[in-house]
Amino acid sequence: MSREAQKLDSAADGAVGIGVLSLDLLGQVLDRLREPRDRKACRLVSRAFERAEVAHRRALRVLRREPLPRLLRAFPALERLDLSACASLDDASLSAAVAGAGGGLAGLRSVCLARANGVGWRGLEALVAACPKLEAVDLSHCVSAGDREVAAVAAAAGLRELRLDKCLAVTDMGLAKVAVGCPRLEKLSLKWCREISDIGIDLLAKKCPELRSLNISYLEVGNESLRSISSLERLEELAMVCCSCIDDEGLELLSKGSDLLQSVDVSRCDHVTSEGLAALIDGRNFLQKLYAADCLHEIGQRFLSKLATLKETLTMLKLDGLEVSDSLLQAIGESCNKLVEVGLSKCSGVTDEGISSLVAQCSDLRSIDLTCCNLITNNALDSIADNCKMLECLRLESCSLINEKGLKRIATCCPNLKEIDLTDCGVDDAALEHLAKCSELRILKLGLCSSISDKGIAFISSNCGKLVELDLYRCNSITDDGLAALANGCKRIKLLNLCYCNKITDTGLGHLGSLEELTNLELRCLVRITGIGISSVAIGCKSLIELDLKRCYSVDDAGLWALARYALNLRQLTISYCQVTGLGLCHLLSSLRCLQDIKMVHLSWVSIEGFEMALRAACGRLKKLKMLCGLKTVLSPELLQMLQACGCRIRWVNKPLVYKD
Amino acid sequence: MEGRMTSLEATMKASSTMASSMVRNADPDQQTLRSNSVEQFYFPRPGQSLPGIPPFFGPPSSSLYLPNDNEAKFGNQFESNPSQNTDWDPQAIVSNLTFLEQKIKQVKDIVQSMNNRENQVAGGSSELAAKQQLITADLTSIIIQLISTAGSLLPSMKNPLLSSNPAVRQLGNTLGSPMGFGMNANQRPSVDSKTDIPDTGKTSDYDELMNNLNTAQDERDELIKCPNPCGGEGSEPTPMEDHDVKESDDGGEGENLPPGSYVVLQLEKEEILAPHTHFCLICGKGFKRDANLRMHMRGHGDEYKTPAALAKPTKDSGADHAPVTRYSCPFVGCKRNKEHKKFQPLKTILCVKNHYKRSHCDKSYTCSRCNTKKFSVIADLKTHEKHCGRDKWLCSCGTTFSRKDKLFGHVALFQGHTPALPMEDVKVSEASEQPHDSEPMNEMARSMVYSFPSSSSDGISNLDMKMADDVRGYFSPLSFDPCFGALDDFTRPGFDISENPFSFLPSGSCSYGQQNGDS
Repeated sequence: MSREAQKLDSAADGAVGIGVLSLDLLGQVLDRLREPRDRKACRLVSRAFERAEVAHRRALRVLRREPLPRLLRAFPALERLDLSACASLDDASLSAAVAGAGGGLAGLRSVCLARANGVGWRGLEALVAACPKLEAVDLSHCVSAGDREVAAVAAAAGLRELRLDKCLAVTDMGLAKVAVGCPRLEKLSLKWCREISDIGIDLLAKKCPELRSLNISYLEVGNESLRSISSLERLEELAMVCCSCIDDEGLELLSKGSDLLQSVDVSRCDHVTSEGLAALIDGRNFLQKLYAADCLHEIGQRFLSKLATLKETLTMLKLDGLEVSDSLLQAIGESCNKLVEVGLSKCSGVTDEGISSLVAQCSDLRSIDLTCCNLITNNALDSIADNCKMLECLRLESCSLINEKGLKRIATCCPNLKEIDLTDCGVDDAALEHLAKCSELRILKLGLCSSISDKGIAFISSNCGKLVELDLYRCNSITDDGLAALANGCKRIKLLNLCYCNKITDTGLGHLGSLEELTNLELRCLVRITGIGISSVAIGCKSLIELDLKRCYSVDDAGLWALARYALNLRQLTISYCQVTGLGLCHLLSSLRCLQDIKMVHLSWVSIEGFEMALRAACGRLKKLKMLCGLKTVLSPELLQMLQACGCRIRWVNKPLVYKD
Repeated sequence: MEGRMTSLEATMKASSTMASSMVRNADPDQQTLRSNSVEQFYFPRPGQSLPGIPPFFGPPSSSLYLPNDNEAKFGNQFESNPSQNTDWDPQAIVSNLTFLEQKIKQVKDIVQSMNNRENQVAGGSSELAAKQQLITADLTSIIIQLISTAGSLLPSMKNPLLSSNPAVRQLGNTLGSPMGFGMNANQRPSVDSKTDIPDTGKTSDYDELMNNLNTAQDERDELIKCPNPCGGEGSEPTPMEDHDVKESDDGGEGENLPPGSYVVLQLEKEEILAPHTHFCLICGKGFKRDANLRMHMRGHGDEYKTPAALAKPTKDSGADHAPVTRYSCPFVGCKRNKEHKKFQPLKTILCVKNHYKRSHCDKSYTCSRCNTKKFSVIADLKTHEKHCGRDKWLCSCGTTFSRKDKLFGHVALFQGHTPALPMEDVKVSEASEQPHDSEPMNEMARSMVYSFPSSSSDGISNLDMKMADDVRGYFSPLSFDPCFGALDDFTRPGFDISENPFSFLPSGSCSYGQQNGDS
């Protein structure tokens, strides 16, 4: 519990003090509490705060469907509702909850239903009908959502923001429904809606003139779409990743469009060349972000000269996968000296000289991506450190020529460093000792740096208390002591990867149990851990959402029982190759009401009946399932049908059973 | 009358004798013969045109008489000049002349047959009068065709001759490009061209010829125009809107022929509505297929039994040399009517037929599937029936489209219209029935819905269509109208009898009494 909460706690003891404050003031107090955990503490200790929260609460994220009706009734002032993690939400429960809330949803502006596979058009229709002020809906990754679902959403005439990423069944018809139904649409993402074609985009452009942001990534649309899009006068952002039918001609059409265009993403558009980009830049004086990853093979002189016209505005340039030369990097540096973010991932030909001449001009750089630029050495790091004092993010994966000296310079000169990726760089404890100076560090990736030991972890833990993500993949020198230090120093860790750190035992997991905020934990191939360690994690890490126990051969039913009992928020679980039985599996699957995704390949100890029973118990909740191919024929067809009917996708794998250490 | 005919015949023969020595190409002849036979028999309409107009064979035919000296000069011009021209096409001339020759033979045959019958059948005077009317109508049309073909002989040599021979130039002006049948007199370019040519005075002979021809043309104009006022029902000369939306295939749209560069023919309503398109030039019997007509022609004499005459006419030959002919709709006020200010001619007889039926006739064919769409052209009905019910792209306004882009164009155009999803009807009923059903039920319901999308998008649409169809229920596979087969051939019994151009003749009264159907 944070200090603020404790303070309020003590205030609540003298309940009179809190009671005299108006609900409004208390609401203001609550608004200033950032952590949900702290708000919960307030709510629980003081009725005044509870009342204030009821009146003031604007946002709600629901994790289970059972309390949904009650919650919707309880918070009449809701504006944002997040149901993306609401387990086994379906049409019936959603419409019942909406109906039960009465007019309580009248103020709702934003609903997130990402990955809510079970919700169909009936539920959406009820929801939209109850929320007259609805402005934003997120249906992304509802893979079974189609035209009918989208049509139900399109009934919200005031909609301004809509995400339909990976709604695989949406076609032009659904898009037309949206285009006609929501004329004030400003933001729309159609990523992965592969059925949508040029004529759908054309109608959209005609009917929704207010569009400011549009994502048509991965669509099979061509230049005609860009012609239509160029009629959108307010367009600011356009993403078209991997639109292989789009070429320079389309970009030229686009260049005649909106003057407000700020961000263009043509990553992985195979047919786009620098000539097309030059044409696009021509006259676009406000262009700020240009993503051209993995699409350019060479940079023409014309592009460079056009780039220079964006000197004042361009802040973001991504050129991943391009073959660059020192002179090119120098030219970019001279053209765009306001760059804040530069991406040169997998660019061949990036040398120390190139980087030096680039960063010498761009002192505002905050993010530099040099993934797989394996020619660079400490010299490059030195020049980065000298020039980019504001650096926050540095990605150096596979840059194996760097060592602790370069990192020392970085750590000393860039105090704001928040993220550093040193995967496969072969750095050692000495480097971590220097990096520990960066107290702002949030994300640290040290995968495959096998020379890192508990000592290095101890350095990090001593000073990087804000660390949120730590990747120690295959750092197999790390032992339980390292985890003890980590759990002691970095209490805020949410994502932890310990795969193949096979010296870790149950004792280490016991230390991890103190990480209350841990959400994602990967323990793949930790052969020494057993159910006891799992139990301590399950009990301690209350926020655990994702757990990977693949090839933890010693984990048995005891671990599953613990998970079933304590890890109530668990959504994704991998127990492939574990020594569990049908009984444990049944218990696990019937107890974990949030579990949506389970991978259980090669559970040799589980009988067919065990699988059958377990899956029946979890039927309405599972969204993703990975099982051995052989089970396909022996499991009852009704069960499989039922699973699919509930929106569960089953991935059948056919792998031999091989034990690895 | 017969005397006049023979003189006319002589005139025509004189103009075509020069071709007699040339090789006769059978196929092109056949082609021109065929194509003209159609026009010819559509053209005069004995039953109704006769009473309305001044005597056919009075002044007009006399004005068609050309003095022999003129004729000789005319012919001489032809013979003397060809060598001078580089782009002068002897083939075209030959084929045109052969055509003229044939026409003259036809005239001769008709007159002869008339003569014979007059001797044989001394029957009722009314019958005889009717026959005479018929024959005169035939004659008129043949003569008109003669003139038009004769006129077309000149344009091909007009330009090269212009400098050398003013007379021919004038002839060309008169007969050539402005040789428009049914051209209004004030549009005739010959009037303008006369002022342009300084040495008109020297060619008084040709002036006379020209004037003669002009008068003939005037007469023809009258002949052509006159059926309209007495055209019967539905032809009130009130200006009307162009409501023929589907005219794009009626022809004449894309081509921008300058007015006067083509001959305008105007068929009459009855001919347009007649079921047949190929008519025997001798007895007038109608056929649906040219092949059948050719078989029929064998009965009219040995000259039709030659392999050349029986051979299928090839398309390309002769087509270039025939006068550019365009058609006018008889409906006054129609944009396709030659009186219209922005007259757009129709390209072929088929275009005329389709246009007239679509625009000025009742839509008597109803689709038996949807019972709403009506058509006046049977082919349109068939086209529609191919797609009826399969128009799966539905707008909220109820309009259906066979193609998605059409629907989207429609939706883009009209405010508030939105595409309708196929299963909408089902959806509403289901939703009202069980909004908050129990979980297992709901899951089963979802299993029905969800199990399909997993297959493919096509699967969905098919499924949706099937269900939507069942809901609407307006067609089951069994509800095909059994009379379709009959419609295929011909639809309205009695139609062919009452509206046939020759139906006024008592059946069986003479050898060319109409008997419909393919022989």
